[in-house]
Amino acid sequence: VTSDARPSVADELRQILADVTGNPEVLGISPETALFGAGVGLGSLSGTLLLRRVRLRFGVDVAGEDLNLDSLATLQTLAAFIDQRAPGQRCQADMSPG
Amino acid sequence: MIKCVIWDIDNTLLAGVYLESGPQLPPPDPAILDVARELGGRGIIHALASRNPPEAAGYVSRVTGITFAAAECGWGPKSEAVQRIIGELGLAPDAVAFVDDDLLERAEVSFALPEVLVLSPEDACEAAGWPQFSPAVITAEAGRRGEMYAERRRRQEEARAFGGSRDDFLRYCQTRVVIEAAGAADVPRLHELSVRTHQFNSAGAQISRQALAALIGSAEHLVMTVRLADRFGDDGMVGGCVIEAGQSGWSIALLMMSCRAMGRGVIDALLAWICQAAGRAGAQAVRVPCLVTPRGVPLRIALASAGFRAGAGTVTGPADAAEADAAEAEAADGREVKAGRRTAVFGRQLAGPLPALPGWATAPEYP
Repeated sequence: VTSDARPSVADELRQILADVTGNPEVLGISPETALFGAGVGLGSLSGTLLLRRVRLRFGVDVAGEDLNLDSLATLQTLAAFIDQRAPGQRCQADMSPG
Repeated sequence: MIKCVIWDIDNTLLAGVYLESGPQLPPPDPAILDVARELGGRGIIHALASRNPPEAAGYVSRVTGITFAAAECGWGPKSEAVQRIIGELGLAPDAVAFVDDDLLERAEVSFALPEVLVLSPEDACEAAGWPQFSPAVITAEAGRRGEMYAERRRRQEEARAFGGSRDDFLRYCQTRVVIEAAGAADVPRLHELSVRTHQFNSAGAQISRQALAALIGSAEHLVMTVRLADRFGDDGMVGGCVIEAGQSGWSIALLMMSCRAMGRGVIDALLAWICQAAGRAGAQAVRVPCLVTPRGVPLRIALASAGFRAGAGTVTGPADAAEADAAEAEAADGREVKAGRRTAVFGRQLAGPLPALPGWATAPEYP
C-alpha cells in the first residue's frame, strides 16, 4: 500500500484499455475480467496498441517476454505481470514530468 | 481537399533511419520526394512529425529542398505532434494528411484524430492521383483507393462516437466477412497479398502465382480467400490462407491479411473458421508456424485470443541479416532485438469449445 493517491497498475490499465478499445464501459471491469472474447473484446489492433502503451508507461515489453501472451488472460494477470517486472521503472516513470 | 501533408522522417521522407545511419546520413527516398514535389507544385504545404532530435528537420529540409511550414521533432505520441501542427497552421483536421511507414504510428494517429487522412508511404506515392489531392486528375483505380480511405474515415468517426464493444460496432457497421475456397481467378490478388503483407503474414513469406495455382489444384491443400465489406464500402479480398490438410492435423503454411482490415474482426473470423472446419474434417489439432518478429505481434495476439499456444517445435534459427534489419527498423524505440530468424509453432487441440464464428461471417461448412 502506498502512502499517496497513486493509481494502481490495474486502474491505469483500465484507463489504457478504455482508450485503446474506445469503450468507456471497460473502466468498470473487475480484475477477473477476460481481456479477450466477451470480456473486454481485445482484438489484434487494440491489443497491439495496449502493449505499446504498457511498454511506454511501465517499461515492460510484454510481447518480448511472453511469447504466448498468457499475461493477457485477465486484467489481473496483466497487472501482476507488470508488477513483477517493473517496480523500479514505475517509480522512475512517476518522477518524470509529462 | 488536403491542404497540408505531415511527413514522418525515418523510412518515409528518408530512405533510412536518421539516428542509426552512422556518419553517412540517409538520402531522401526518391519516390516520396517526387510525390512531395508534385503536391507542393499544386499548392499543398508540407510539415514534419518525427521521433528524432530537432536537427533532423534541418537536415531533411536541406537534402530534399522542401520548405516545411511546421516541424515537430520529439518523443511524444505522434497524434499530439500532428495536433500541434494543425493548431499552429490553423488547419481543419480533415484538410491534413499524415504519412508514416510505421503501422502503429498510423493506428495511433487514426484513432486519436479520425478526420486526418492517414497513409502509408506506398499509398502516398499513389495519392497524387486521388481526388483529395487533386479534383481534376483521377484514374478509376486510384479513385477507388481514395474512396476506401474516405470510407475508412467515416467508419473511424462513427467508431469514436460509438462507445460500445468492438463486436457491437462491427454489427452496427453491418460487417460482412466471406470466407471461400480460392479459384484460379483469385491467384493474382493472393500473390499480391503475400507480397504486400508484413504485419499479418504468418510465415513471413511471399508465394508465387505458379505455386498458388498448384496449391489450389492440390488435393492435400486448401487455399482460402477472405473478403470484407460493410455499409461504408467494399474492401474486396483482404486476406487468405494456405492449409495443409493432413488426416490428424491441419498445418497453416501461410496466413495473411491486409493491415487495412485490422481491427475489423477478419483474422478472428478466419482463425475460428479454420478451427471449426478442421474439427469437422476429423483433425485433432491445428498448427500455425510463425516467424516471431516485433512486426508479428498483432498476429500473435489474434492467435492467443483463439486459444493457440507455442509448442515444442519452437526454435531459434540461424541469423538472417535482412530479417534482423527489418525487425530492428521496426523496433524504433530501442527495444532489444535478438539477431536471428526465430520461429515458433503455435498450435491448439480441437477438443473442447472452439472459438465461435461471428454471426456476420459466412463461410463454407467444409470446402
